[in-house]
Amino acid sequence: MKDDNIYKPLRAKLVEVIEESPTIKSFVLEPEREFSFATGQFVELTLNGIGEAPFTPSSSPLVKDKMEITIMKAGYVTEKIHKLNPGEIMGIRGPYGRGYPLEEFYGKEIMVLGGGCGFAPLRSLLYNLEAEKDRVKKVTFCYGSKNPAECIYKPYIDNLRKMDKFEVYRTVDEADESWAEEVGVATVLLDKVEVNIDDSVAVVCGPPIMMKFGVMKLLEMGYTDKQIYLSMEKNMSCGLGKCGHCMMGEYFVCMDGPVFRYDEIKDQPNIWK
Amino acid sequence: MGKISSISATDWQTVLLNLARSYSFYAPVSFNGSMDYELIDEDNAGEIVYNHPKPSTPLKTFFLPVKENVTADLKEQKPALIMGAPSCDLAALDILDEMYLNRDYTDIYYKNRRKNSILIGYDCQSMLENCHCTSYGINPFPEKNFDLLLIKLDDNLLLQSGSAKGTAMLKELENHARITEAEENDIKRIEEKRADLREVLTQKNNKLPGYDSSGRLIKASDDNIWKSYASTCVSCGACATICPTCTCFLLIDRPDFEKIRQLDACQYPGFERVAGDEDPLEELPVRFKNRYQCKYVWKPLKFKSIACTGCGRCIETCIGKINKNELLRELASENKV
Repeated sequence: MKDDNIYKPLRAKLVEVIEESPTIKSFVLEPEREFSFATGQFVELTLNGIGEAPFTPSSSPLVKDKMEITIMKAGYVTEKIHKLNPGEIMGIRGPYGRGYPLEEFYGKEIMVLGGGCGFAPLRSLLYNLEAEKDRVKKVTFCYGSKNPAECIYKPYIDNLRKMDKFEVYRTVDEADESWAEEVGVATVLLDKVEVNIDDSVAVVCGPPIMMKFGVMKLLEMGYTDKQIYLSMEKNMSCGLGKCGHCMMGEYFVCMDGPVFRYDEIKDQPNIWK
Repeated sequence: MGKISSISATDWQTVLLNLARSYSFYAPVSFNGSMDYELIDEDNAGEIVYNHPKPSTPLKTFFLPVKENVTADLKEQKPALIMGAPSCDLAALDILDEMYLNRDYTDIYYKNRRKNSILIGYDCQSMLENCHCTSYGINPFPEKNFDLLLIKLDDNLLLQSGSAKGTAMLKELENHARITEAEENDIKRIEEKRADLREVLTQKNNKLPGYDSSGRLIKASDDNIWKSYASTCVSCGACATICPTCTCFLLIDRPDFEKIRQLDACQYPGFERVAGDEDPLEELPVRFKNRYQCKYVWKPLKFKSIACTGCGRCIETCIGKINKNELLRELASENKV
């Protein structure tokens, strides 16, 4: 493996585009050969000739022939990706970094807190936990988004609600008449849930501001630094621990993360930016 | 000093011309008051500068060009012979090798260039205003990462091998010139020069904190000193560009899934910006401090090799007249570490 070209992407065919919300789409890719990743690891997705950006797959790590990547329109590359149609050939490098440490979750209650497009990596984790549900006590999924239209993965949520051991809570910042669930920022859901904190771990993924307040709330509830896992979003450009763009204090997020336990990163500078 | 060979200055001129034919041969040449590597041929072989610190361009540039297509097939190239690398630049290869060769992902383009090069190191026989290698445990004469070491002494050139490649090269030189064992007196003179220069450097930098203490001082510092020193920083990135250990890069996409690795710097605005416009290094003083933290606080936790080898180029090149060592001395005087 050592003399492979680390910069050359694997080709992958875009086979389906799913509109999840007005700003978020999922892209189903068929890599030219089987592609394995652990849940929480990320890939570099190339739009030929335009650019490359890091994304954590939102599909199950148990599926090897297809991979789904959920992307919010948020910048130059993602806007162009949003215009793609099935048939397009894209590039993938990876998988990179350290994903969710499932072995540390086994035997516990798992509190999963997600916001906006941060649901994407969490869905991959939830798929994985579904397959391993005999090994966990309970999974509580709390999800917040801007408004009902921006709530993604609606069919998936419906299925998850029916699943034994899984509880789902949702909230939106701005409700409309169609909305029958909670209203307010994602952290309000944490007041609704029942959880045995001593026997639990929490996983958080979302926009930086939501992660910051989510962690503060979890700590307030009694979670310790070592019980909270975060998926950090930095500018992982090479994915190889070289280009320097994703440095977060002493860490290369691309190699040491993107999943960190809160105690590992709480003293590093600018983690919420 | 180990085995030293000697060759006369007259014979050396013949050797140079032979080398220029067999290799892409680079050596330091003076121009307009500065000195930098030039491609050597018969016209400029006589202008080569010996044992003077230090070429403007850091050695890293030979192995990590400013721009390189990192998806192209590796090409057979004429081997490169790089003469005149100072000790600070050779020592800086340690962290580059750790990063590009020995981590989980090897950069085949870097590896290929390293393999395809012969490095001739120089003893420094004088210092420039901002040289401070000795403060970081590096001597002003190469002790590692060279294939041959070259010292000019009056009418003789003294050579020492530092690797199998260097030994093979010495053998090759015997075909073109008379190579003898160096005189004991010459070796003694070199050793004296070395000791003298080391002393001068140590004296000159006696108030400069060492590498580890610099890290501790930076870690304990408050924002004021960074705001003050960053006030003349214009984010030009010259400090990082010219640094022998700074190699952060950008990957640029081209059609046909080509990727270009281009030298980048944390001092440029937007370096760490992510989609959605969050940018941890948005404020200039934070961005300015980042480079110091990276070199003295964070890289030491990640790598075995040091991330500043004391060449002083960042001080010489700064158009904002920011003096890294002045900053570190100020931190040291405030904190008495």
